[in-house]
Amino acid sequence: MKDLEFFRNISIGQYSSGDSLLHRLTPATKYLWLFALSIPGAVGGISGVAMVLLLALCAGRGAGIRPAFLLRGVKPALPFFVLAAFLQFLFGWPGDHSAALFTLGPLSATAREAAAVGMAVARTVALMVLLGVFTSITSEGEIAHGVEDLLDPLARLGLPVHRLALVVSATFRFIPVIAGELESIVKAQASRGADFGTGKGGPFARARAYLPLIVPVTVRALERAEVLAEAMEARCYTGKDRTRWVVYPKVRGEDAIRALALVFCAAAFAVDALLR
Amino acid sequence: MSFISLEGVGFTYPESSRAALKDISVSIGEGEHVAIVGRNGSGKSTLLRLLDGLRTPTQGRVEVFGLCTGDGSNLPAIRSGLSLVFQAPVDQIVSSVVEEDVAFGPENLGLPRAEIKGRVDKALRAVGLEAERKSPSLFLSAGQQQRLAIAGALAMEPRCIAFDEATAMLDPEARKDLLGRIDELNAQGMAIIHATHDMSEAARASRILALEDGRLVFDGLPGDFFFPGGSGLPAPAERLGFGLPPALRLCRELGIEPRLGESLERLAARIAASGAAIGDAYGAASMSHNDGASHEAPRPAPGEAGDPVGPAFALEEAGHSWLRGTANERVALRGVSVCLQPSSLVAVVGRTGSGKSTLLQLLDALAFPTGGRVIAFGQDTLAKGTDLRSLRMRAPLCVQRPEAALFEPYAADDVAFGPRNQGLAGKALVARVREAMDKAGLDYDLFRDRGSRGLSGGEKRKLALAGVLALDSEALLLDEPTSALDPETREAVMALLAGHAASGRTVVFATHSMEEASRADLVLVMRGAELVASLPPRELFHSAYDPAWGIARPFAAAMAIALAATGIEIQGQPLTLGELVSGLKGSLAGDGGRAKEGAG
Repeated sequence: MKDLEFFRNISIGQYSSGDSLLHRLTPATKYLWLFALSIPGAVGGISGVAMVLLLALCAGRGAGIRPAFLLRGVKPALPFFVLAAFLQFLFGWPGDHSAALFTLGPLSATAREAAAVGMAVARTVALMVLLGVFTSITSEGEIAHGVEDLLDPLARLGLPVHRLALVVSATFRFIPVIAGELESIVKAQASRGADFGTGKGGPFARARAYLPLIVPVTVRALERAEVLAEAMEARCYTGKDRTRWVVYPKVRGEDAIRALALVFCAAAFAVDALLR
Repeated sequence: MSFISLEGVGFTYPESSRAALKDISVSIGEGEHVAIVGRNGSGKSTLLRLLDGLRTPTQGRVEVFGLCTGDGSNLPAIRSGLSLVFQAPVDQIVSSVVEEDVAFGPENLGLPRAEIKGRVDKALRAVGLEAERKSPSLFLSAGQQQRLAIAGALAMEPRCIAFDEATAMLDPEARKDLLGRIDELNAQGMAIIHATHDMSEAARASRILALEDGRLVFDGLPGDFFFPGGSGLPAPAERLGFGLPPALRLCRELGIEPRLGESLERLAARIAASGAAIGDAYGAASMSHNDGASHEAPRPAPGEAGDPVGPAFALEEAGHSWLRGTANERVALRGVSVCLQPSSLVAVVGRTGSGKSTLLQLLDALAFPTGGRVIAFGQDTLAKGTDLRSLRMRAPLCVQRPEAALFEPYAADDVAFGPRNQGLAGKALVARVREAMDKAGLDYDLFRDRGSRGLSGGEKRKLALAGVLALDSEALLLDEPTSALDPETREAVMALLAGHAASGRTVVFATHSMEEASRADLVLVMRGAELVASLPPRELFHSAYDPAWGIARPFAAAMAIALAATGIEIQGQPLTLGELVSGLKGSLAGDGGRAKEGAG
């Protein structure tokens, strides 16, 4: 990564407005599909994960989001994949009698370990792409309102649903904010000789270059959060007794689309079971 | 019942031992237009937060609309009647869609949906954002975002709006627009409280409160603040170190009656009318050359220092797009070709979003051209084998708000980060850090062991500047190095840059201040991702000036044009007040002489 443009490589949290069918669905439906796809993505077998990934990419395509953009969003997670593989190969599994693939010093890989690494990577990729599609078609406001709508029954039992919704939307809101701050601080330090994006040094030297970032990025994120909290408070926000101004009309056939989400989830597991 | 009243108010932040406000007693009436002036860290923002109940005083009592801010149950009534607009446009946006953001306040009041709609429509119309009502709020320009913040305030139907340095991060055009809207609101009966350290802005108010170190040191009419009293003492504005707006300084230099809120055209007409008198008075008038520019050491002409070398930077048809390949791709630079000579001071001006920051990042190889080439010190930044780390250290970039990137707990350690990366250690390192801190105006012996987070805003900025100066590099790039600073700190930073260029380095800085740009050797004007002019300031702001660039003229140039319209031609295309006054002297002495001859 020679250029220090972090925002470009983050596909989660970048809403792009549009008028596709996917964009027009109510937030509650978008959440339903998010769950319907992420359950087989997280716990299903390889066929379920593959279906989820494929469907997410196709849905993104339909909403005008390029697959290349979604897949590039996985790039920042690559070091974690390497780390996971390293740990997996360092420690053996008790009772693992599968074929040994290679041995490299203290590392030894077996077929079972390799499969486990592959599955973990596939799951992460599928879920990241899915979240990328979701946040591309769902604005921050919809993210918050969707949580409110879904959890509405619980609000009647006295749960602070609105606050929960706010926490969810603030989290998504701060992903690009923190990426922006990180970019600015990395640039400030790179121009003073910190080793970023120069393609030099071993993995440890590169990891060490990130240490001076932790304090300023955390401090800036907290400062920005505090300013936002003040601005909200100054506009009478208390989290209680609010009117909600925005309502989302259902598109035609929205109920069927919701039902389809459940069907898909069940079908993914059924296909998995058949193939096993 | 008074509108707003403070009685013996003091405030100390819980994490600090120093009082931010001390013994403030003041009351503000309905419909007033009050400016609060003071340096960075003098307590302006704290005062506004006390009015809105975001903070409660540690001493004394704050009452707004007859309600005490210390009582939590009063806050909804206080906050719906008194709205705040903050400095950073983007940080006060709550919703991702413009109209939803405007609706946020009324939603919190629990108003019926039909009424919210009415208020949102009205507020958007008042600030001229109806066309953007469905747009993503984060993609508005900074000026539009500040208008959105006002719409959000108006939707609360308040009786008073308080602005906390709300113009500090705007370009001149957006600033002018915002100030016009503030005046308009006041004319409609809205009380305005405007915290600022710009004296021209303060002069628009009908009352001025000045804070110094947490104390209220002046409360009175702008006339009493800016004009000297009968006692022969200088005006409070000068005595307290705030300085005067340029128009008033000109009046003083010419010995004519100062008037507040006067347009350039009217002032020019008055000068023309009293021309002969000014010419006569001139011999007695003392001319203080505190213009900065006239003081600076003469620089070797760009490119003449040392051996004949190539340009420090060259851009060849350079272009850049951010977020390339995503739905939000944005072209930030298009086909820019320019050569920047060594040992020159270069200003980059243009509206927000015109490509200034991107240009600086391309020069420092922090971003790379997506079209064309960028050559820094003879090296193509994109070429294979270019040592980016050492290239970047030859022209370090001081990013916007560089204080955000401070990370070492102690001041001197933060400054040492760069030189350490260059391989310096021991005595050489200490000497380098000492020199950089002293240059930046932070005494090394006094500040080296101070905690960098505990410094004031202005000190942090100076520390961040020391951090790039410590690299002792051939060139220096700075992105709005004076933004949000008070006039005194601004001047210190500008003197530093000019001195640095005078010592034979290339300094490139982006700025929204045309007074600052006029001190450069070369000014680059950016508009809509394109370089539309690159000229020396004298030519740029006079003969070549084009209003379509969206930038203002420095005061002296604008005044010279206004005077020319009244028939007074000033020689030498002035850029500073000193030049304007001596130019005027020349032409009025001539006119005055003729006038006398005619009379005789």
